[in-house]
Amino acid sequence: MFKALQKPVYMMGMGGRRGGGGGGGGGGTTPPSGGRTFSYISSPTSVSAQMNGSTTMANGSTISTWYFSNGGGFNGDRTVPSPVIEANQGETVQVTLSSMMEHTIHFHGLDVDQQNDGVPTTSFAVGGMGNPNSYTYTFLAPHAGTYHYHCHVDTVLHYEMGMYGTVIIRPPNGSTTEAWAGGPAFNKEYVWQFHTFDSSWHSGGGGMGGGGMGGSSGPNTTRHSPNYFMINGRDGNNLNSDSTVAISAGAGQKVLVRGVHSGYQPAMVKMGGLVFDVIASDGRPLPSAISATEWLMAPGERYDLLVTMPSSGQRTATVDYYDIRLGRVLGTASTTITVT
Amino acid sequence: MQRREFLKSGLMGSAVFAVSGLTAMTPKTAHAATVNINMTAEGTFKTLVDGTSVYVWQFNQSNGSGPGTLTSGLVVNEGDTVNVTVTNNLDRAINFVVPGITGTTPSVSPGSNRTYSFTASSAGSYFYTDTVNGEIGKAMGLTGPLVVNASGNRLYSGGPSFDRQYTLALNELDDRLNSAIYNGQSYDMANYEPNYFFVNGMSYPDTSNDADTVVAMNTGEDVAIRFINTGCITNPQHFHGYHVNIASRNRTPETSMGEKDTVLVNLDECVDVILPVIQPGVYPLHTHYVPGVTANGTYANGALIIMSAA
Repeated sequence: MFKALQKPVYMMGMGGRRGGGGGGGGGGTTPPSGGRTFSYISSPTSVSAQMNGSTTMANGSTISTWYFSNGGGFNGDRTVPSPVIEANQGETVQVTLSSMMEHTIHFHGLDVDQQNDGVPTTSFAVGGMGNPNSYTYTFLAPHAGTYHYHCHVDTVLHYEMGMYGTVIIRPPNGSTTEAWAGGPAFNKEYVWQFHTFDSSWHSGGGGMGGGGMGGSSGPNTTRHSPNYFMINGRDGNNLNSDSTVAISAGAGQKVLVRGVHSGYQPAMVKMGGLVFDVIASDGRPLPSAISATEWLMAPGERYDLLVTMPSSGQRTATVDYYDIRLGRVLGTASTTITVT
Repeated sequence: MQRREFLKSGLMGSAVFAVSGLTAMTPKTAHAATVNINMTAEGTFKTLVDGTSVYVWQFNQSNGSGPGTLTSGLVVNEGDTVNVTVTNNLDRAINFVVPGITGTTPSVSPGSNRTYSFTASSAGSYFYTDTVNGEIGKAMGLTGPLVVNASGNRLYSGGPSFDRQYTLALNELDDRLNSAIYNGQSYDMANYEPNYFFVNGMSYPDTSNDADTVVAMNTGEDVAIRFINTGCITNPQHFHGYHVNIASRNRTPETSMGEKDTVLVNLDECVDVILPVIQPGVYPLHTHYVPGVTANGTYANGALIIMSAA
């Protein structure tokens, strides 16, 4: 017997976009350990929704951001992306969201149930009139791999503003040197989150960002014309000196790059001509690893790339962001691959 | 027939476009049929989800229609001979091409009609469109889905089986193009940046009220979903609640990927997936090019549909 379809109730966020800050943060992120090149938080954990952030681009411009905070964002040193959340395969993951304004967390790819899916029209929002100010998202994580989380309120804007992050599910024993139980081993690990900014959607520098209170309609989100091309929230020359992006490892070492597409334009990833193995996607191993020198990732997808460092030298990795018809490259993020 | 009764009757397994009038029974024998279709290529006004009215082109099928609000759509059985008689009521020559079946076909002039014949030799998902006008025909809406059913509830002979199947035709429009065509001006597809997005001709929330477009299913089933890109942009479809197995891309079996929660439906691509229904609940399925979930910038009015598992 079919469950009666819920008549979608469009939430009060329609059209009107609000600014405003969130609740308090958590205890801060755990510094990189093992082969990680990024700090992280471990389930059970808490984040708060913040709407008063900013980030500085390579050309000196300040872009306003919204983000999930645990006392710091990605790597504890920037608002965008939000912190990496880790848990072990087989455990019950718990992430508590606190928010004063309406936000949710959708755990993208974790196949959570309806109650915990973070979609307001099929469940509820956190924060705002009539909603709880906090909620603990709870779900099982049966597959080790790379996943994604992001706000699902007025998604087109909140996602762009920076409310997104990565979830890593470790093998059952919590190993940080094995992609899944019995899977490929690696020495060093990067998270590369792909995202572009259209600065016109961020309505200028710090503060409220997209739109004010009450009847303001917020930025025009009809078309997305990116002017900043990033990896892990950094762009331009800043990518070469960012320890979470620039790949450096010893000759012959295995480097796992968890590619998370959290943007709007398809991205072609190249590792400076090095052949890499695509070993998993969307939290599932591939039947057999695919060897490639370039790989296209579409919005929402994840691909885990295993790079074997050559014997010496430095190369330039590139991420070309294409228009949505795959006709031309709109902009490129590049960084270095250095054998130490 | 009400959706609920149709599902109970057991016909759901092989019928697509269940409510729109053109159904196909599970083929019991290898006996191929001849299917005769009449379509008129015409201009009309489409009312969009925000109340805007836009000039579009469409194939208007006199004996049947497509899923959702699509005015044409074909469901045939493998081996059928299909004769589509197109009457051209537009102001310019067009043709009728099925990528993967026909090659280039001759055009039909305004005011004339032509019968396009082909044999649906291989089961799978296809689309038809006009190619005389470059991509303009497709972008203006002169497209439709074609489903060629294999015998038994399988996507192709020896392929994955399903308990029920759905067709989701994806497209979009850039109203600057429609306006230019309506006003007799030229338009360069290099400038194409759509601002309205559709599944089976509709934008959310209308998609959630359409029996062809709500993916209704039962926990424990395997559900086939045919993504047919009849538009002009890449379309990364993200499933909440579930992972799916990609069965084929443009009728070529897919063997290199594991389960996916986000499936790129590329330009001119038909991607068939099998969804194992691992849990009950109501979940969205939508493009992760999230501006594609807007109508002229207003969120949650685009290519988003609802899946509902009992």
